[in-house]
Amino acid sequence: MIELIALLYLAPIFCSIPIAIAWGMEKKPEYARNLPMLSVFGLFISLLVSLYILFRVDVPTYTIEWLPEYNINFVFIFDYLSKYMGVLTAFIAFLIGVYGLEYMKDDYRLGWYWMFFNVFTASMLLVVYSDNLLMLLIGWEGLGIASWGLIGHWFRDDDPLSYVGIIDRKVWKLNMFWSPSFGGWRAISTIRFGDMPMFFAVAAIYALTGNLNISEIDWAALFHHIGPAGTLILILCFLMGPFTKSAQLPFSEWLMTAMTGPTTVSALLHSATMVAAGTYLFMRFSWYVEPWHVHSLGLEYIYILVLFSGLLSALYGAIVATGCLERKVLLAASTMSSLGLMFASSAASMWLGKIALYVAFWYLIVHAFAKATLFLVAGHLIHVTHDRFCVGDKEVAKKMKLAFIVTIFATISLSGIPPFTAYWVKSAMDEVMHHLTHEFGALPLTLLILTSIAYAAFLAKFLSLNFIKGEKAHLHLHGGNVMGLAYSIMVSMLAVLLILIVGEYEPHAGEFLKEGFVANSFMVGVAVLASYSFALYVPRIKQLSSVGTFLSDRMYLPFLNDFILPKVGWFIAKIIDYCNKAIDFFCHKAIPSAFEGWSIGIRAIQSGELNKYIKIVVGCVILVLAIISVLGW
Amino acid sequence: MIELVILLLIPLVVTFVAPFFNSRNATYLSFVSFMVPFFGILYYLMAGTSFEIPITKVSAPIGEFYLLADPIANAFGLTVCIVSAMVSIYSLPYMKHRFEEMEYEVESEFKKYIFLYNLYAVSMLWLVYCGNLILLYIFLELSLLASFALIYLYGYGNRQWVAVLYFVWTHIAGVLALIGFLIIAYENSTLALKNIAAISYTAWLLIFLGMLVKLPGLGPHIWLPWAHAEAPTPVSALLSPLTVGLAGFILLRIYLTDPWFIDMYRTPILIYALISSIYAGFSVFKQKDYKKLLAYSTVSQMGYCLIAICLGSYGAIALVIQYISHAFGKSILFMTAGAIIAVYHGLRDVEKMGGLHEYIPTISNAALLGFMTLGGILTIGMFGEFFILKGIVDIYEFNIWVIVAVVFVFILSGFYGFYTLKIIFYGTPKGFKTPKIDRMLDVPLYVIGLLSIAFIFPPLATGLLNALKVILGVLP
Repeated sequence: MIELIALLYLAPIFCSIPIAIAWGMEKKPEYARNLPMLSVFGLFISLLVSLYILFRVDVPTYTIEWLPEYNINFVFIFDYLSKYMGVLTAFIAFLIGVYGLEYMKDDYRLGWYWMFFNVFTASMLLVVYSDNLLMLLIGWEGLGIASWGLIGHWFRDDDPLSYVGIIDRKVWKLNMFWSPSFGGWRAISTIRFGDMPMFFAVAAIYALTGNLNISEIDWAALFHHIGPAGTLILILCFLMGPFTKSAQLPFSEWLMTAMTGPTTVSALLHSATMVAAGTYLFMRFSWYVEPWHVHSLGLEYIYILVLFSGLLSALYGAIVATGCLERKVLLAASTMSSLGLMFASSAASMWLGKIALYVAFWYLIVHAFAKATLFLVAGHLIHVTHDRFCVGDKEVAKKMKLAFIVTIFATISLSGIPPFTAYWVKSAMDEVMHHLTHEFGALPLTLLILTSIAYAAFLAKFLSLNFIKGEKAHLHLHGGNVMGLAYSIMVSMLAVLLILIVGEYEPHAGEFLKEGFVANSFMVGVAVLASYSFALYVPRIKQLSSVGTFLSDRMYLPFLNDFILPKVGWFIAKIIDYCNKAIDFFCHKAIPSAFEGWSIGIRAIQSGELNKYIKIVVGCVILVLAIISVLGW
Repeated sequence: MIELVILLLIPLVVTFVAPFFNSRNATYLSFVSFMVPFFGILYYLMAGTSFEIPITKVSAPIGEFYLLADPIANAFGLTVCIVSAMVSIYSLPYMKHRFEEMEYEVESEFKKYIFLYNLYAVSMLWLVYCGNLILLYIFLELSLLASFALIYLYGYGNRQWVAVLYFVWTHIAGVLALIGFLIIAYENSTLALKNIAAISYTAWLLIFLGMLVKLPGLGPHIWLPWAHAEAPTPVSALLSPLTVGLAGFILLRIYLTDPWFIDMYRTPILIYALISSIYAGFSVFKQKDYKKLLAYSTVSQMGYCLIAICLGSYGAIALVIQYISHAFGKSILFMTAGAIIAVYHGLRDVEKMGGLHEYIPTISNAALLGFMTLGGILTIGMFGEFFILKGIVDIYEFNIWVIVAVVFVFILSGFYGFYTLKIIFYGTPKGFKTPKIDRMLDVPLYVIGLLSIAFIFPPLATGLLNALKVILGVLP
C-alpha cells in the first residue's frame, strides 16, 4: 500500500524535476524540449494508481505515521467521494497534460510550467484522499502556490494574448485590464485571506478534540461543547478556505483574472479540479458531519448561509457570463456559477440528507469534464485565431469541424437540455431545491431556474460567437491534432457519464433518472432549451450593449478588490511609514542633537572667568530666595 | 554524550585555524566545521535525547557550569549550524565582491573576515547549549562583539555609525539581562538553570525588557532596520535569522524555569506582540531598500515569537519552530538580496528592480522558497502557525479579537511576501544584463529551502516534533 501511495504522489513530482533542472541550466540541453513527455508520464502513473484505488482498494483508510505523539498522521481515506474524485483529477490532469504537450511546446518557461503543473496534481490528489485536516492543508497550500505560479506563468506581461480585459481601458480611476503577474498576486492574496481563517479552524478543532481525522471526530459532541456561537465562528472560519478557493461571492474576482494563465491551467485548475476542491471539501465535511442528524443552531445558520451564498454566486456568475465577450473569462464566470450550484446543493443536505451530496458531487463530475472540454477548445481557438475574444463565423465551424462538434456536444450536455448528461443531474437538483420549499419558500428553486436559464444562454452564446455568428476571424491552421484528440476524449466522457446514469450502472447516479421524468424538471428542461436556442440565434443584442458592458465589468466588483481594499491598505502603510520616519528622525537626529546642544551649553559655562562664576552663584541664590518667598515659607 | 562536546569544539577550533588557510580552503573548512555538528545534532534531535554535560563547578552565586543538550537546545543548535554552514559558503564570492568594491586586498582581508564570521557563528552555537546564565551571557556578548566588528569593518553606507548604533542598543539589551541574571544569582545563589528555584519580579522584568530590545519589539526596534540593512549581506544573513531570535530562546529558557511572569502578564504582552507584528508587517510595503524591507519583516516575524510565548505549552513549541522557520526563510532571503547586490553592483532599490526573474531565475526561485517559508506555505513554518493557532484556543478559547488579530498577522506576512516577489522578480523585465552567477551564490539557498520543505514530512517532522514534546511536560 505504501508503495502505491508513494507512486501516486511522488511519480508526478519526480518526473517533472528533470525538466525543471534542464530548463534552469545556463545552456539548455537539446533534449529539454522532449522532457515534458516524462512529466506527462508521471501523471499517467498517478492515473493508473488512482484507477487501481477505485477498483481494487477496499480498506476504508490507510495510515502512515507522521506526528504520532500528537495523534496527527497521514490518513488516506478511500470512500465514495475520494475514489471517484481521485480518478477524475488524475484523468483530467493526464489528458490536459497531453494537450499541453502541443499547446505549450514553444513556450519559454517549460521548467516552471511542468513543475507547478505536476506539483498541482500531486497536491490535488493529496486533498482528495486525505482524511486528516492538517495533511489536507499541505495539499491545500500546494494548490494555492501552484495556482499562483501557473497564473503568473507568463510573468513578463508582454503578450497581449495573456491579459484579461481590454488593454488600456479605464473605468473612472481603475484599470480594467489585468496582466499575468497581477493576476497571480490577486489569486494568492485572495486565497491567503481565506486559508488562514481555515487554518485557525483546523487548529481549533485539534485543540478541542485532539483529533484531526474528518471521519473520526465526534462532530455532534464538538458542536454541543462549543455552543451555537462557537460553532458559527469555527465553521465560518473553516469555510473561508473553500469559499475563497471556490471563488464564491465576494471572493470571485481572482478567478476571473486567473485567466491570464495558459489555457491548460484554466482548464485544469480554474474549472475542473482546484476550484472544485472547495466544494469537494464541503461535501466531504457534510458527508461525515451528517448535519441532517446534528441538532445545532449554529450549524443550521451556516448551512442556510452556504445555500444562499451559493445560489447567489451561481446567479451572479451566470448573469455576468452572459455579458462576457472574452472566451476564457466567460467560461470562468460560468465556472463560478457552477461552483455556487454545488455549494447550494451540498448545503441542502442539512434538510434532505445524503442524496443532496450525491447530486452535488455528480454535478461536479459532469461539470469538470464539460468545462475542461470547453476550455481546451477555447485554447485551441485562441491558438488558431490569435484572439482571446469570441470571434469566428461559419468558416471556423467548417475548418475546425471537430472543435465545432465537440463544443456543441459539451454545451448541450452541460446546460441541462433533455436528455443529455447534465439534464438528469440538474433535474435531481431541481427536486432538491423543490423540497426546500417547506423551509424557504420558492426562493431557492427560483434562483436555480434563473441560473439554469442564464447558463444555457451563455453556453449557446459561446458556441454561436465562436463558430457561427461571430466576426470574421483570420485563421492560422496548423497542427492541433493532439489538442483535438485530447478534447475529443474529454468530451466523450460526458457520453460515458450519460450511459452510467441512464443505464443505472452507478446506483446513486441511477437514482437521478426518475427525477428526470418529473413534470417540473421537464418544464425546466424545456425552458433551458428555449433559452439555449434563442441565444444561439441572437448571441448579441445591440440595444443592450450598455447592460452587457456592466456585466462584462463583473458589475464593478473589481473595485472592491483593486480599489477599496488596496486604498485602505496603502493608507495604513503610509501612516506607518510616517511613524517610521518620525522614529528615525527623533532617535537618530533630534534626540542626539538635543544632547549635543545641551552638552555644548553646559560646557559654555566653564569659561574660566571668576566674574562669570560669581554671577551664576548670585543668580542661583536670588532665584532660590525668590522661590522661597513666593511659596511663603 | 562527550561526543557533543567534540562536535561543538570543532567549529571553535576551526575559528582559530581557518585564518591560516587561503580564502577558498578556509571557506570549505568553516563549512565542514558546521556541517559535522549539524549531522551530529540532527542525530541527537531525532533520537530525542536530553542530557547534561558538566564542565566545572564555581562557587556561589555563580553555580555549576554545564552544557544543557535538551531537544530545545538541539533544535536551535541545528538551525545555527545549517544556516552558518550555508552562509559561510555563500560568503566567499560575496565578500570577494565586497572587498574588491572597497578596494581591499582580498586574501588578507578574508582572513580577518573568516575569523570574525566563525567566532560570531560559533558563539551563537555555544550559547544555545549553555546551562548557566552567566556562561550564556558571555557567549551573547561574544556574538555581539564579533557582529559589531563585522558591521564596523565591512558594512554599507554610514557603517561606523550603524555599527555603534547596533552596539549601543544590543548592549542596553545585554546589560538589562545581565542585571536580571545577577538578581537571580543573589536570590538563588546559583545561575545554573536546573537549580534556579524562583525568579523575582525585578529580575524577570529586566530580562524581559532586555530581550524585548534585542528581539526586538515595536519601539526598541529602531536599531534593527539600520543594522540589518547596512551589514554586509552574509552577516545580515546571520544577524536576522539567528541572532535576534536567540532573544526568544533566552525568554523560553527563563519561561521554562519559572513561568509566572508571562502567565501573569500574558494578555498585555500578547497585545503588544500583535501590534508590533502588524505594525512591522505594514512597514514592509513602503520600503524601497530590499534589505531594509527584509529587516522590517524580521521585526514582524519576531512578533510571532512573542505571540507564541504567550500561548502556553503549545505556544512554546511554536516558538521553537518559528525560530527555525524564520531562520531558514530569512537567511535565504538575505542571500537573495546579497546575490542581487553582488551581480548588479550594489542594486538594492526595489523600484529599480522588476522582472528580474528573466535574468536571475535561480535567485528568484530561491526567493520564492524563502517567502514560502516565512508564510508557512508547504514549509516548516506551517507547524509554527499551527501550534500558535492551537495555543490561542488553549489559552483564549474563542476570543474573536485574538483570533482575528493573529490570523491577520499571518495573512499580512503572506501578502508582503508575494507582493515583494511581484515587484522585484515579476512584471516587465527592465533591460538588465543576464549575469553569470557563481554557483556558491545560489546552491546554498536551495539546500536550506529544500530542508525547510523536508521538515514538514516524516522522518524529520516526526523526529523534531516528538522531541519537542518534552516542553509539554514542563508547562501547564
